[in-house]
Parts: sequence; structure tokens; C-alpha cells
Amino acid sequence: MMKRVKAPRNVFVNFPLGRPCGKPNNTQMQTEILKDALNFLKSAQEPGELIDLSYDWGSDFDWNDYMNDIKEMLEEEGSEKQEWKPEK
Amino acid sequence: MRIQGARNMEPINYVTCLNEMYQSQGFPPYQWSKFETSPWIPFKKPLNQACIGLISSAGIFLDDQEPFDSWAVNDLSVRLIKTDTPHAKFRLHHNYFDHRDALKDFNCVFPVDRLSELEREGFIGSFAPKAATLGMGRLYKRTALQAETVPKLVEIMKEQSVDAVLLVAA
Repeated sequence: MMKRVKAPRNVFVNFPLGRPCGKPNNTQMQTEILKDALNFLKSAQEPGELIDLSYDWGSDFDWNDYMNDIKEMLEEEGSEKQEWKPEK
Repeated sequence: MRIQGARNMEPINYVTCLNEMYQSQGFPPYQWSKFETSPWIPFKKPLNQACIGLISSAGIFLDDQEPFDSWAVNDLSVRLIKTDTPHAKFRLHHNYFDHRDALKDFNCVFPVDRLSELEREGFIGSFAPKAATLGMGRLYKRTALQAETVPKLVEIMKEQSVDAVLLVAA
């Protein structure tokens, strides 16, 4: 997604969606990610450059996990899943 | 920064996965934004003299502001949030990502505490006192987003004389 949008400087952290600045209540990790991102303001060399910070989430995750996490979250919160239908 | 032992895992390709999911349900292909070039201004100011602004699209608002719709479609509105607001007043409505960690610690998607600390530490010159937040959701109005919402965001940041903006996409 970032490669497509091509903001002037792009910082990627390969974590499950919703934790781009680090794990909850992990102040040290969040601070390091933000410092890396801010340092990239100066170290980026060319327009649209993307840096992959390679922090480790600690376990593998994929698209099915993303869908299952949302389902689980909605169940926990007692929310209905929104169903979208193509326009006829 | 490279972490020793970090797993070498391919990122999820959300564009491909979303395309496959929705097209198998009979939706027409989504027109994803794609840009070939980027605007570029070399960043010359030392970080410890720079003012940094924050924009987050995680659907965060204050308890006395109009809520975002958790299942928003084409929501182009913006909320202004003073960055020293107590977290107890923060709300988050956004069901297109798993927001449970963000509710435990808003800094996951809205790093106001961390940026305030970096200001106190002198790592950055200052942290702009007003952040802008968006909800957006499913978006089919890119022209309106660019013509209406973006100028508002630019104005909010310019008023505070920021030197750079951290955009946190959720």
C-alpha cells in the first residue's frame, strides 16, 4: 500500500494492522520506532523512499489472522459484522 | 534499525487480498490510488530544532466531539485533538482493523505520549500541540479527499508552523 501511495518518505513496520507505532505499553519499542522514523526524515535520499524497520512482532501472521482477529474483536465487543453487497 | 533474529516474513499484501475477496463477491475492481512520483523537499533543519505534527487515521476522537462511524464510508471529516488531552477522553471508532491493542494503549496508532517525551528529551524541537485525526473507512471519493480534506489538514499543520508531519495510517 505504501509503495503505491508513495509519500515522500515511508517507514514500514511489519506488524499486524493497527500497531504501526509498536506493541501496546511497550514504551521502549514505541520510542525506538518513532526515533527511527524521525531519523529517516534526514537519512532518506530520494522521493518516495521506503525503509523496512524489521522489528519483530514475535509470531507469524497472515491475511486469515487479520480476518479472524476482526471477527473475534467484533464478537468480544458485541458488534455486528457489517455485510456489504455489490450494487445491482 | 535491524533487530537480530527478526523473522523474515513477507508483509501481507492487503491490496491483492482485498481485491480477491471483494471481486469473488461480485464487486467491481476497486480503484486503488497509485502514484509514480513523490513531492520532495530535502529536510535540512536539525531534528532537535524541528516542530513535528501528527496526523492519524485510526478513527480517534474526543468524548465531547462527534464520533466517527466505526463502519465509515466516505467520511472526509477531521477532528482536532490537543495532544496533552488525558487519554480517558480519547475514543476510537474504527472496525476495519483490530483496534484492541490501540484501546489498551492509544500510542500504538496515536503516539502522543512518545512524541511529547521526545520533545522533553530534546530529540525533536517541539511536538505540535494540535493533532489531526481521520476515520475515513471505505473511501470512494479520492477527488473530494484531495480537494476538501487535505487542504484542511495542511492548514492545521501550517498554522502550527510544523516542519514535518508524521502520518500514522491504521
